[in-house]
Amino acid sequence: MTGTAMEAAALGRRFGRRGDGDWALRDCTFRLPAGSVCAVVGPNGAGKSTLLAHAAGLLRPTEGTVTVLGTTPGAARARLAYIAQDKPLYPQLSITETLRLGHELNPGRWDGAVAERIVAEGDLDPHARVGSLSGGQRTRVALALALGKRPELLLLDEPMADLDPLARHQLMGALMADAAENGTTVVMSSHVIAELEDACDHVLLIGDGRVRLEGPLDDLLAAHVLVTGRDGDLDPHTVVESRTTGRQHTALIRPNGPLDESWQTTEPTLEELVLAHLRSPDAPVLTLTREDEAEEAAA
Amino acid sequence: MTAVTPTPGEAPAEEPALRRALRPRGLVWTLLSLHRAALLFWVLLVAVAGGTLLWAYGPGTDGAWSEYRTMRCAFSGEEDLSCDYTGEAFLALDAATYLGAMIITVVPFLVAVWAGAALIARELETGTAEVAWTQSVSPARWLTAKLAVPAALIASGTALLVLLHRLVWPSNRELLRWLDWQWYDDLPFRSNGPVAVAYALLGLAVGVLVGLLVRRSLPALGISLVCLLAVHFLLGALRPYLWPSVTLTTTEDYPVFSGMPVDDGGITPIGSHVPNPCGGEDPGCLTQHHIVGFYVDHHPPSHFWPLQLTETGIVLALTALAVLASFRLLHHRTAA
Repeated sequence: MTGTAMEAAALGRRFGRRGDGDWALRDCTFRLPAGSVCAVVGPNGAGKSTLLAHAAGLLRPTEGTVTVLGTTPGAARARLAYIAQDKPLYPQLSITETLRLGHELNPGRWDGAVAERIVAEGDLDPHARVGSLSGGQRTRVALALALGKRPELLLLDEPMADLDPLARHQLMGALMADAAENGTTVVMSSHVIAELEDACDHVLLIGDGRVRLEGPLDDLLAAHVLVTGRDGDLDPHTVVESRTTGRQHTALIRPNGPLDESWQTTEPTLEELVLAHLRSPDAPVLTLTREDEAEEAAA
Repeated sequence: MTAVTPTPGEAPAEEPALRRALRPRGLVWTLLSLHRAALLFWVLLVAVAGGTLLWAYGPGTDGAWSEYRTMRCAFSGEEDLSCDYTGEAFLALDAATYLGAMIITVVPFLVAVWAGAALIARELETGTAEVAWTQSVSPARWLTAKLAVPAALIASGTALLVLLHRLVWPSNRELLRWLDWQWYDDLPFRSNGPVAVAYALLGLAVGVLVGLLVRRSLPALGISLVCLLAVHFLLGALRPYLWPSVTLTTTEDYPVFSGMPVDDGGITPIGSHVPNPCGGEDPGCLTQHHIVGFYVDHHPPSHFWPLQLTETGIVLALTALAVLASFRLLHHRTAA
């Protein structure tokens, strides 16, 4: 397989009738390396769900292209799995029948043991109707259906949104263990950043339908500095956001050269990084995954 | 990366080979499991309608015949209006046949409503269609199965009911005359030939197209019904003109004919056919309006098959258009 699990080139999607202002995604260009666990973050309505639906082959781009696993989403259908935000499942089927559906619709790929293990870990009655399950139990069944397919790329839209902290921790653990074991690329969206920080190693920040930040988590964090001080010149550096509280000055910057001694510096958290970018829509775009890196990863 | 290890199916290994070969798989299995209630309803409906028609064919017809003989109404060569009597056996046969024809005629509407709401729109509304499309099944294959599996079941069930209805429809002209059943009446015409199967398939195609367009169950249900009603009544009204009618003319009374009346009126001295200005055969009025004869356009009984097949062809063409539009719509919406 290639070193790129998912790639978008000038991807744009407009909803509704012709005219402007309805762009859910605009001019999105990025690469996500294979084997990574990528967090797609951004506020509600930023275009995260639209992006994942395009990658899953459910929507046709208005402009540009999206490539997954080296081919079109339609051609990669058998090798990817997708869980939509509201975890749709057929309510009239039992859990067993839902897994049977995975077996019937994924001939030659389905691993029933994996799916059954995930259901069993949740202590669910296999004969219970899906319609009678709680939100968390449904998420578990949806995840079993997705992982039973043995996907190379797993697309999850707000996977843990309706789970209590304990179930979230358990399911995230099961998911990450499975992904690590099989080298699955996981792309998951969330607006709860804390949910993702421990799990992900790659970040794609979407704001207002556009890519704002993209790259390996560590590199993105290293490229930014949170500075605090009384006063001082930030001139050669790229200022993402700066605030003044009393006489205290706080700024998130991308340093260009050595920093003035008078500043106190700390490395930002992912949450601080994301919030600063969302509060400053005019901050320049930063993408750190370059073509050569992706090729290196492939080698 | 992921080593695809073929895993054993869930079917028990000791299953006999024939049963295993006949066991529905893939999308067929999915459709049958998801629409178990609809399948059961269809089987019951066909059983009830088929049972009723079988009863009409056997005991129903026998009972009416013996009642007919008891009344000494046997046809003597002249039409005897004194014998247009209706007894219990007559009424039972008439009602049973009517019920069978009614069910055959209503099936396309039930199919349209179900296909629009339950088969397609509900899946789009709740997002379960996307669950299917992100298994190893393309939207086009999904739609093919959604059309083909119900189409096979609906067409075979309807065809069976049509055959039974034709069986009941007496070949004996005497009994037909007594029952006063006309081959060109709307219900018998719709129930006595392939047009019934064509309308049922049109119901499926219209429901699917509307479901894809509207994407919400309740509006899809209503709109499918309205669309099919429109076609039903439009083609019903056009039916007499779907095949060239036969014209009879006379210079005295209205011509006597047997079959579906299409048009009638007077003939002027220059030979043109005009509506009868007198509404009857009052000689004074006719002379005053220069009516020198009468004409009748009609379809003789031999036109049953040409009319059936023309209407069937039109309905199947509409079905094909709806199916084509459905595939194009879905293709346009989802990624290749």
